[in-house]
Amino acid sequence: MVTPVTSLGTRLSPEEIGYLTAGPGRAAETALARLIDADLVRVSRQGLVSAVHLGDHGALTELERRTLSYARTGARFDTVVQSTAYSTEMKRLHQHLLDQKLMQQPRRRHEGWWFSLAVAIVLVVLGFTAPAFFLGVPIALLFFVWQRGRKAVTEAGAKALRHVAATDRVHAVALYGFCGKVNGHAVADLFELSQGIVKMLPLKQNRKRRSSSDGGGGCGSSCSSCGSGCGGSSCSSSSSGCSSGGSSCGGGGCGGGGGGGD
Amino acid sequence: MAGITDLGVGIGWRSEIDLTVERLPGVDFVEVVAENLHIGHLPESVTLLLERGIPVLPHAVSLSLGGADPVDLSRVEHLGRIAEAVGAPMVSDHVCFVRAGGLDSGHLMPVPRTKDALDVLVANVKLAQENLPVPLALENVAALLEWPDGELSEGQFLAELVERTDCWLLVDVANLYANARNIGTDPHRFLDEIPLERLAYVHVAGGVDHGDVYHDTHAHAVLPEVLGVLDELCSRVKPPGVLLERDDNYPSDAEIASELAAIRAVVEKHRA
Repeated sequence: MVTPVTSLGTRLSPEEIGYLTAGPGRAAETALARLIDADLVRVSRQGLVSAVHLGDHGALTELERRTLSYARTGARFDTVVQSTAYSTEMKRLHQHLLDQKLMQQPRRRHEGWWFSLAVAIVLVVLGFTAPAFFLGVPIALLFFVWQRGRKAVTEAGAKALRHVAATDRVHAVALYGFCGKVNGHAVADLFELSQGIVKMLPLKQNRKRRSSSDGGGGCGSSCSSCGSGCGGSSCSSSSSGCSSGGSSCGGGGCGGGGGGGD
Repeated sequence: MAGITDLGVGIGWRSEIDLTVERLPGVDFVEVVAENLHIGHLPESVTLLLERGIPVLPHAVSLSLGGADPVDLSRVEHLGRIAEAVGAPMVSDHVCFVRAGGLDSGHLMPVPRTKDALDVLVANVKLAQENLPVPLALENVAALLEWPDGELSEGQFLAELVERTDCWLLVDVANLYANARNIGTDPHRFLDEIPLERLAYVHVAGGVDHGDVYHDTHAHAVLPEVLGVLDELCSRVKPPGVLLERDDNYPSDAEIASELAAIRAVVEKHRA
């Protein structure tokens, strides 16, 4: 598996791609996908995830080690994903993305964000009659920019994601989630997982990259794990992309933390 | 029943490895733990295997046929209904007791090998047989102790059980190995003494050493020594079936396939 290299020279791991694309839930799915891909965990027909070996054998990342620990005694598919999504290891991954300037603390879009813009326009119009009004335009625009909010994923993060493709099934999960589609095919099929299993993940619309073709379908699984915490009070700034909910989440649902796809 | 159908090489079906069992090449039959299934909603995987024509044999762990308490007929009835649901040619349990005085041991406890204990066992087995729709096979257990004042060897005990009840035998070669290691019994003598013509099929399982004690864990790899006991058995009789039991710490699909292949190699060696 070749690690994608962005135009900035930033090497993104599948988990980082998952996080940047749709938040901690997607990163957790990606870690699980890599473990399944490497035959380090198995998933039963009922969606029970169990580790194949004792210990951390074969785990390549902190997140994978955490996922393996949840699967040690066997746990439901959705429980493993959500537990990993809320782990301290996930917070460290988020911090790493912040440090790399690929993410930033998002700022919620203010409900009246458009009002400052309207004021600025009015001030411009009035400025033609009384130039003193022009002085208020920059102030109104500053308010507008602030209140408009900002996405969790930085421009650099979004740019890095634009060069990533679903070159294998792990990257397919990172980009589209277990519930998504790639080239018209269900990502779950790549892992021989039934829809019954992947739909254990709470249903949430994920308008971010959920399909490589039509943008439709998919249950937005990663958003799901994010989503459950996203709207809740427990969703602090430390939960990163998930905490956005405003401009970066694009409204309805968490959308994952940022979405470089927009 | 004149004889047991040739079952081939199989594996214990467990829900954790259901997809693995479905995908494994060369699985000729499977065994399910009867107590884990419910009439009316068999696991999808079991249904799929049945549709493929794979025989599914119910294996019970709770009849406590060696116990002094009367057999719980509701458990026997459940086993029979599972057998009918999966169209099984036979069912099985163990020569052991698992409860006494209202307490469950959570373990397959060995039966004292006395004439009196055999009488109790025979009575319970006959009662179970009367209430089962298919033949019953009984399995030798692994023991960490022997009750005092035993009058019969394990082989003699089972031979007399077969003679008096017409039951079939499910020989667990891993248990033979465990008993040889832990209480010094002789697998060769056991095989000499049991009626091999009443062999239903064979269990193979893994275990691990803890100091001087061998634990029949079903959660570790099958030891070459256990395959050696299987080899000895196959040199005497062609077993109708041989089944790998794995109950925990499931290894990769490749490792399970490798263990099945090793079992098949021993069986095929003698068939050739």
